Amino acid sequence: MANKRNRTAGLVLAAAVLGILVWRPTVLIYGLQAAGLYASIAIPMGLILGIVHIVNLAHGEFMMAASYLTYTICRASGMDPYLALLPVAAVTAAFGFLVYRLTIRRALKAPELNQLILTFGLAILLTQAANLLFTSQTRKLSFEYVSASVDIGDLSFGVYNFVFVAIAVAMVVGLRLFLTRTKAGKAALAVGQNPRGAAIVGIDVDRAYALTFALASAMVGLMGAVFITRSSIFPAVGSPFTMKSFCLIAMAGIGNIPGILASSVLLGVSENFLKAFRGTREWADIVFFVLIISVILGRSIRGKKA
Amino acid sequence: MKRTATYAAAAIAAVVLAVLPAFLGAYPLNVARSVMTYMALAVSWDMLLRSGQISFGIAGLFGLGSYASALLVLRAGMDPVLSLVFATLLTGAIAYALGFAVLRLRAMYFSITTLALAEIFRIVLHNLHDFSGGPEGVVLPGVIFGGAAPALYWLCLAGLAITLGTSWYFERSKLHLALTAIRNDETSARASGVDIFKYLLVAFTVTSTLQGMMGAIQVQSYGFTTPETAFDANFTLLPLAMALLGGIHSTLGPIAGAVLLGIASEWLKLKIPYGHLVVYGIIIVLVILLMPRGLVGLARNRRAGRRA
Amino acid sequence: MKRTLVALALIAAAAMAFGQGTIKIGATWPLADITGKQGSMAAQQAVDEINKAGGILGRQLELIVIDDELKADKGAAAIEKLVTVDNVDVIIGGMASGVALGQVPAMKKYGKVVVSTGAASYKVEEALGKDADWYFHLHPWDYNQGASYVQGWDEIQKKFPNIKIKKIFLAYEEGAFGKASWDATKTLFGAGNRYVIDGASFKSAALGGGDYGAMLEAAKMFKPDLFLWAGYDADALPMLEQAKAMKFSPGIYLGAPPGWPVGFGTSRLSENVMLYGMWAPSINNVSPVSKKFYDGFVAKFKAEPATYFAPLSYSAVYIVADAIKRAGSTDTAALIKALEATKYESPLGQTITFTPGNIIKHQGVKNQKILQWQMGRQEVIWPFESATAKPVYPFPKWK
Repeated sequence: MANKRNRTAGLVLAAAVLGILVWRPTVLIYGLQAAGLYASIAIPMGLILGIVHIVNLAHGEFMMAASYLTYTICRASGMDPYLALLPVAAVTAAFGFLVYRLTIRRALKAPELNQLILTFGLAILLTQAANLLFTSQTRKLSFEYVSASVDIGDLSFGVYNFVFVAIAVAMVVGLRLFLTRTKAGKAALAVGQNPRGAAIVGIDVDRAYALTFALASAMVGLMGAVFITRSSIFPAVGSPFTMKSFCLIAMAGIGNIPGILASSVLLGVSENFLKAFRGTREWADIVFFVLIISVILGRSIRGKKA
Repeated sequence: MKRTATYAAAAIAAVVLAVLPAFLGAYPLNVARSVMTYMALAVSWDMLLRSGQISFGIAGLFGLGSYASALLVLRAGMDPVLSLVFATLLTGAIAYALGFAVLRLRAMYFSITTLALAEIFRIVLHNLHDFSGGPEGVVLPGVIFGGAAPALYWLCLAGLAITLGTSWYFERSKLHLALTAIRNDETSARASGVDIFKYLLVAFTVTSTLQGMMGAIQVQSYGFTTPETAFDANFTLLPLAMALLGGIHSTLGPIAGAVLLGIASEWLKLKIPYGHLVVYGIIIVLVILLMPRGLVGLARNRRAGRRA
Repeated sequence: MKRTLVALALIAAAAMAFGQGTIKIGATWPLADITGKQGSMAAQQAVDEINKAGGILGRQLELIVIDDELKADKGAAAIEKLVTVDNVDVIIGGMASGVALGQVPAMKKYGKVVVSTGAASYKVEEALGKDADWYFHLHPWDYNQGASYVQGWDEIQKKFPNIKIKKIFLAYEEGAFGKASWDATKTLFGAGNRYVIDGASFKSAALGGGDYGAMLEAAKMFKPDLFLWAGYDADALPMLEQAKAMKFSPGIYLGAPPGWPVGFGTSRLSENVMLYGMWAPSINNVSPVSKKFYDGFVAKFKAEPATYFAPLSYSAVYIVADAIKRAGSTDTAALIKALEATKYESPLGQTITFTPGNIIKHQGVKNQKILQWQMGRQEVIWPFESATAKPVYPFPKWK
C-alpha cells in the first residue's frame, strides 16, 4: 500500500521534472545550481547540530572569515582558490577546534539558549572584526573559468556553479563513510544519538564534540575558499546563509544529512520556478518559508496520527 | 513581608521612571525609549519561554504591530492613539489563529516556524506595493503627540508598564505553575490533567499581543517604517541576548539585561565610533561564559554564598 | 567637599569658554559602512584644512560625528544628542533614506540648519514638507537622477550618432533602492513612447541573493540596446561573469551601484562597462578642487576614496564653512540666507548652488554623471563639460 503510494508520488515527480525541463530548462539548471550552494553550506551546520546539538549562529561568519583568508592568500601569492583550499580548511579546522575549546565547551552544561547566544556574540565579533580589517567595500577574485558556458541550441548557460552540486554530494557521501566506517566517526554518531549512553560505554564525548566541530569547520573553510570564486565577499556576506542553512536542516529533520540535499533541491527548483515568470518573480523568497512551514507542520500532523 | 518590600520597590521605581522627563533632556529620553522597547520585548519573550517554547518570531509580531498601526492611520484614517489599540488587538488575533498551528510544534521546530512566519510577514508587506508602500515603506502624516519628547517617553513607558504588569501577573497566577510544569515535563503535566494547549495558547497570544503593541508604539513614535526597519532581525536577537544576559525565567532578569546591553551599546558607540560593535560582541561572549545564569543568577549565587 | 565643588565649577567654566571658541559641526553617518566611514573621514579632512588655514571668523571648527548604525532610531537619538547635549551649530551628514526618515521629526523639532549628504528617496522629501527651509539637500533625489539620465542619453545620442538606444532593460534589486530606480525609469524614460522599457527584479548579493540567471534570461530575451542594473557593489562582478556565461552582450552594459568592489578595474570583464555616479578619481584631470581633495585624502588616510560620499561630505563642510563666513555668525536665519547664496566649486567637477526641488526649497546637486570603465579607470562621458574620455561603443561581444 505504502509502496504503491510512493511509486505514484515518484511518477508524478518525474513527470513534473520532465515537464519543466522541456518547458523552461533553465528552471532546473539554475535550481540545481542554487540547491548545490545551499546544501554545501548547510551540511556542515547540520553536522554540528546533529552531533553536538548546537545551533551555530556564527556558521555563516565562519565561512565569511574563511573567504577573507582565501582572498588574502590568493592576492598575496597569486594562487588559485582551489589550491588555497586545503591550507584554508586546515586553518579553519584549527580555528573551529579553538573556538570549541575556549567557548562552546564551557557553555555545554548551560541551557541550550546560552550556546545560541554565545554563537550570536561570536557572529557579531567576527563580522565587525572583518569590517575593521577589510571595510565594508566588497572584494572578489575574478577567474575566467567561472564563466564556463554550454550552448544547447539557442540556450547558453553557465555550468560553473554545478561545482557546488558536486561538493554537496561529496560532502554527503564523505560524511556517510566517515560516520559509518571509521572509529572516530562511529563514536561521534553514537555521541550524537545518545551522549550519556556513549559516555557509559567509554566513548570520550568531549573529544567527539571537538572533532566534529573541527571537521565541520574544515568543511566550512573549504566552502569559504570556493565561495569567493562565485560571489563577492563583504563582512555581512555570511549571515543570510546561517538562517537559510538552519531552515534547510529543520526541513530535513535534525541528523538527516542526505535530507538536507533533498530539501535544498526542492527549494532551489521551486524558487527558480517562481523566478522564471514575471508575475511571480518577486514572490520567490516566500516559497522558501512556506515550504519549510508546510513540511514541518505536515510532519508533526503525520507524527501525531502514527 | 518580602512581598511588601517588592511592591514598595516597584512603586518607587515606577514613580521615579514616570517623573524622569522633568529632569532629563531629549537625548537621554530617546535612549531610554529604545532601552524600554527592547526591555518589553525581552520580558514578553521570556514569558513564553517559561513554558519551554523558544520563539524566534519577535521581530515578526513587532513588525506586524508596526504595520497594522501605520496602515490603520494611513489607509483607514484612524486616530493614531486609537490605532495603537486596534493594531495591538489585531496582532493578538493573528497570533491566536496561528497558535492553533504552531503550538503543535516543540523545541527547534517551533523556533524555526516562528522565524519563518516572521519572514513571510515581511515579504508579504514588502511585495504588496500599493497597500503597504512596498520596500520604500510608509511615512505617516506626523509623529504622535506632535513628537513631544516627554509624551513619547510616557507612551513607551506605558507599553513597558503593561508588559511588566502582565509578566508579574503571569508569575503569580496559576498560569505560572502550569507553564513551569509544561517546561519541566510535558508528559507528566499532561498526565496530571493540565490542559497544555490551552495554557500555551494563552501565553503565546498574550506575549504576541505585547510585542505587537510595542511595534505599534514604535511606528507612531518615529512616524514611518519600512519592511527592513519593522522586521529587523535585531528585534528578535537582541531581546534574546538581553534576557539571557540578565537571567531567564524571571521578570527582573530581562530588565537587567536590557539596561546593561542597551546602555552599553549607546555608550560604546560614543566612546569608540569605529568598531564599537566588536566590543559589543565580546561583552556578549564574556557574559555568557562568565555568568551562565545571567546577572540575576550571579546576584542569587552571591546571596546564597553569603548565607552559607 | 567644598573644594571639589569649586574645582568642578572651574572645570565647567573652562569647558564652556573652550566650547564657545569653536564652531561645532555635528554629523551622523553609518560608520561601519564604507560610504559613511570615508564620508566622515573626508569631512574631518576638510575641517583640518580649514582650521590649518586659520579657521572661520577667527574660530576653529570642531566636527562631532555619531554613528547612526544604519538604524532609524539610532540616527534619531544621534540628532537629539548633537542638538541638546553637544549644542552643535550645524548638522551635516547622512547616507541611507531609511535613517533620514527617522531623523526628520527630530530635525523638524529643532529647526537647526542641516546640510544633508545622503537620502535619495522622494519619501524623505515628502516627510520634510515645503516648510523645511533649514534643510539643504546636497545629494540628488531619485527623480533628479532619473531626469538627469534621460537628458544625458539624449545628448550623447545627439553627439554620437552611432549610439542608438530604443530598448532599455532595467534589472533592479528588490529593496527600496532598486524599486525607486524602477519607478523612476518607467515614468521618465517611458514618457512619450521614445523608449521601450522592460525590467526584472533580482535579489542583491548584498542581501543574501546573488542568483542572476532568471533575471538575465529575461533581459536576454528582450534584446535591449541599453542594459542597466541597479544594485550594490557585491553584484558587480558576479553579474558580469554570469552574463558572460550566458553570452548576453547588450549594446550598452551599465551599472548603477553606490560604489564598486575593490579592484573592479583590474578585472578584464570591467572593460567598457558604463556606470552612473557623481565622482571618480579621473575628475582630478579636469578639476583642481578634486585633485586637492584626492591628494589630501590619500596622504591623510593612505586609502583611495571608494565612493562619491567622500567628496560630497568634504563639500558639505566647505559649503557650511563658507556660509558661516559670509553670514558672520552661526545664527540660523543668517546662515540659511548665506547658504542660499552658495556657489561652491566642488571636487565633483561642478559648481554647487541651491535651487528648489519638487517640494523643498534647497536642492543642491541635481544631476548625475555617466561614466565608463576604460583601461581600469572610471572616465566621465557626460556631462560633456567635465568629460574625461569619449564613449566606447558598443559593449564588446563576449569571446
